[in-house]
Amino acid sequence: MFPQQFVNAISLGGVYALFALGFTLVFGVLNVVNLAHGAVFMLGAYAALQAALYFQAPLWAAILVAVACSACVGWLLDKLIFAPLRARHAPHLAPMVATIGLAIVLTSAVEGFFGAENLRFPVEILPADTLSLAGVRVTWLELRIVFLAFLLMGVLLWGLKKTRVGWALRGVAESPKAAALLGVNVEALFRVTSVVASLLGGVAGVLIALYTNAVFPHMGQPMLHKGIAVVILGGMGDIRGALLGGFFLGFAEVFSVAYIGSTMRDAVAFGLLFIVLLLRPEGLFGQAAQRRA
Amino acid sequence: MTAVAVAAQFLSAFVMAAEIKFGVAEALTGNASQYGLPIRKGFELAAGEINAAGGINGAKLALVVEDEQGRKEEAINVFKKLIFQDKVLMLFGPTLSNSAQASDPVAQAAKVVVFGTSNTADGITSIGNYVFRNSVTEADILPVTLKIAAQKTGFKKVAVLYGNDDIFTKSGYDNFAKALQALKIPVATTETFAKGDVDFKPQLTKIKASHPDAIVLSALVAEGAPIMVQARQLGIALPFIGGNGMNSPRVFELAKGRADNLWVGSPWSVENPAPENKRFITAYQKTYGALPDQFAAQAYDAMYIVTQALKKIKLTGKLEADRKALRDALPSTQWTGATGPFKFRQVAGRGGKPAGYDAVQTAIVMLTKNNKYVIQK
Amino acid sequence: MDWLESFWLTYSTLVLSVGTNILLALSVYLTLACGLLTVANAAFMGIGAYTAGLLTVHAGMPFLFSLFFGSLLPALVALLIGRPTLRLSGVYLAMATLAFGEVVRILILNAEGITGGALGLNGIPQLTRWFDVALAVGLTLYVLLRLARSRIGRTMRAICQDETATELMGLNVRAYKLFVFVLGGALAGLAGALNAHFTYFISPNEYGFERAVEILAMGVLGGTGSPWGAVIGGVLITLLPELLRGLGHYRPLINGVVLIVIILYSPRGIWDLLHPARGSAGAPATH
Repeated sequence: MFPQQFVNAISLGGVYALFALGFTLVFGVLNVVNLAHGAVFMLGAYAALQAALYFQAPLWAAILVAVACSACVGWLLDKLIFAPLRARHAPHLAPMVATIGLAIVLTSAVEGFFGAENLRFPVEILPADTLSLAGVRVTWLELRIVFLAFLLMGVLLWGLKKTRVGWALRGVAESPKAAALLGVNVEALFRVTSVVASLLGGVAGVLIALYTNAVFPHMGQPMLHKGIAVVILGGMGDIRGALLGGFFLGFAEVFSVAYIGSTMRDAVAFGLLFIVLLLRPEGLFGQAAQRRA
Repeated sequence: MTAVAVAAQFLSAFVMAAEIKFGVAEALTGNASQYGLPIRKGFELAAGEINAAGGINGAKLALVVEDEQGRKEEAINVFKKLIFQDKVLMLFGPTLSNSAQASDPVAQAAKVVVFGTSNTADGITSIGNYVFRNSVTEADILPVTLKIAAQKTGFKKVAVLYGNDDIFTKSGYDNFAKALQALKIPVATTETFAKGDVDFKPQLTKIKASHPDAIVLSALVAEGAPIMVQARQLGIALPFIGGNGMNSPRVFELAKGRADNLWVGSPWSVENPAPENKRFITAYQKTYGALPDQFAAQAYDAMYIVTQALKKIKLTGKLEADRKALRDALPSTQWTGATGPFKFRQVAGRGGKPAGYDAVQTAIVMLTKNNKYVIQK
Repeated sequence: MDWLESFWLTYSTLVLSVGTNILLALSVYLTLACGLLTVANAAFMGIGAYTAGLLTVHAGMPFLFSLFFGSLLPALVALLIGRPTLRLSGVYLAMATLAFGEVVRILILNAEGITGGALGLNGIPQLTRWFDVALAVGLTLYVLLRLARSRIGRTMRAICQDETATELMGLNVRAYKLFVFVLGGALAGLAGALNAHFTYFISPNEYGFERAVEILAMGVLGGTGSPWGAVIGGVLITLLPELLRGLGHYRPLINGVVLIVIILYSPRGIWDLLHPARGSAGAPATH
């Protein structure tokens, strides 16, 4: 059983990591807990689903549609909600409550249009092959998800380290005021971050919807809970942390089911989170904040 | 002479053109609306047919529909509004067993009949003698399903998988456990999941390693379908035995290609060739353009059951008396509808006193094969 | 009087819900006023509800005793986890308390033997009367308003402004924060106990993430400048769905839109609209 569970853990970890990447980006740069990330995730899945159903789009096209949709939402989110609140020097909880409202709006709109039932992608779009190596079974899709999580993380890290936009982003994350003084267009960068983060969320939505064969309006909720846990475990705002946190949580969950008992699956996740926060608030893999600007 | 007769008829029709108001409190938004909306359709279809045939003793049915959102506080508020403000004769609903536990006592205290068509958990009809339901409880169906499935597949031991955070799936599990014990079927391992979970591979891997001959599943289709798919992906080719949450044609869409080998027991089957059922399915398809599911079927029958009872009494226009008269006429009502022959059975409440009324119906056991439910005898 | 009677028949549950929601909003007001984002109050509400419910149903205790223990137990739990947890700040505190809340919910869910697990606890007698709730709300408001004007209140405001300076002045900041956290826990527990006794039935899932988010929304929406903000928030969040009932299918959508509009228009909450704070007295300097 152990080898199969190990593989299960890696796939689950990949799923969590993918979701957490966008979530942690918004927190790291915009300093906002975006509780609408789950809804954006869900929108990506629905957008791709509609493309596949009504335009018979192949998978890559459906994903592009999802990307376009969620990027739009990310742009609107910053333009209509985050930016005005920044301009008014709103207390830092205000954007979070606004994202709660947005999540409700998006979820009920989707539920109104498409119904509350589970939907699924047409079978043709999904490569159904299962690999079987040494008694362990894994699907191509799971491998692709894990691969993509690493790939995206690599791209993001490269972007942050090697491009000017990346440097500017890191500057803004450290101190928006200092960055502004240095001539960085902080507002534009915030907008870009929101777009990129939402886009990542949308892609995660499509892939995870394919993985689980389930598209439904509230699919973002459970992911959001876990996403929060991942991001804390890995260190808020830390890209590598999102990945490591995701895998850590995946392993913790799978092995607690395998060896402790499935009823405790979520308790383990959140219990761990609680303990980690008490012992090491910056997360297992984050750096301790030198100063809080 | 004829003029007087015509005038008399006209006048009497005018007087008798009263309305009979029924309250319908179902989840029309929110996650539970996937059950609440078909239920409403079932009610409306039945009420439409009854009114087209002339109503009850000349009076037409009017449905006052409210959205209880699948939340218990909302269910309570909606019940109170329907009972005290809209002054309905009786109530249908709510959708979820959770809500029923909170809102049915309101109806009981106000002495208004509340008729659930989708509440199957324990502790609901035991609230009092104004609480009725035609949704057959798992306690009655599961033993039949297990017995027939055991006969046909010859399984010796099973693994059990259920949702432990939802009253419906947990209640189903409790009944499964009791039935398994009574039939002396050993359980290799018991695993749980939570509502909204999407990944079941750790639990399924553990189940696979315990080498059962079949998997007993207490889940709704939303989780049940992914469970079946992931099981097949992991190389588990065992039969699944489900509660009536798995009795939905949607399992064929959601678990496309992997929905075979599922045993389900329920009083209603879309394949049941009985004439009443065929009539219902045709009418539903014509009106709504889709196949009905169990929820719609039970709602449809419930409306007919209540109107059968109504036919027996004479409405005086005095609300309290009429509500009581309806309650008194209901328990002895029998009806053969889409879900087959139906009658009530009284259950005991707290302290053993006689309380509400459960459904007595025979279960149809089905096995999925080639994307259809095949009825097993 | 007839009108009042029929109004009460239909809307009593709604009115009582307004009351308990105000209590919940007040329970977070204390900590929120300083930007201490504790999301644990939904869990405290659950602990209070189950404690009181179990005592009434299984132990046959009189109502006031159940209420008392329903407030005491969450306060004790708050005391226990408060010390280590309150060392965190900002979003870390929020997440720690959120995680704690989820753990509590899962524990209640799995302690089937005692709590009934997913099947919930039903048959809770309807013991809450309007004056219980009114008394609880009135008393709490009175105490909090007095507190705000007392030395404790001034110390709290000082802590909000600059924690380090306050500590340097010799004041035991940790003790004050703990006090506020525990008080919040007791209030949330009381609200839960009262709520359990007018809804017949409670189940673990009512005290999870959704409830925590709702409580938070009440606090932020109403405004953290004063306990009256919590009152506004509680009333608004409870009544909004009822007022929108006519919108049928669009109800949840409009609900969300209203939330966004209010926050955009008045980020500090509605109370701030009515009584604009001079300077940023409530805004913590370091976030």
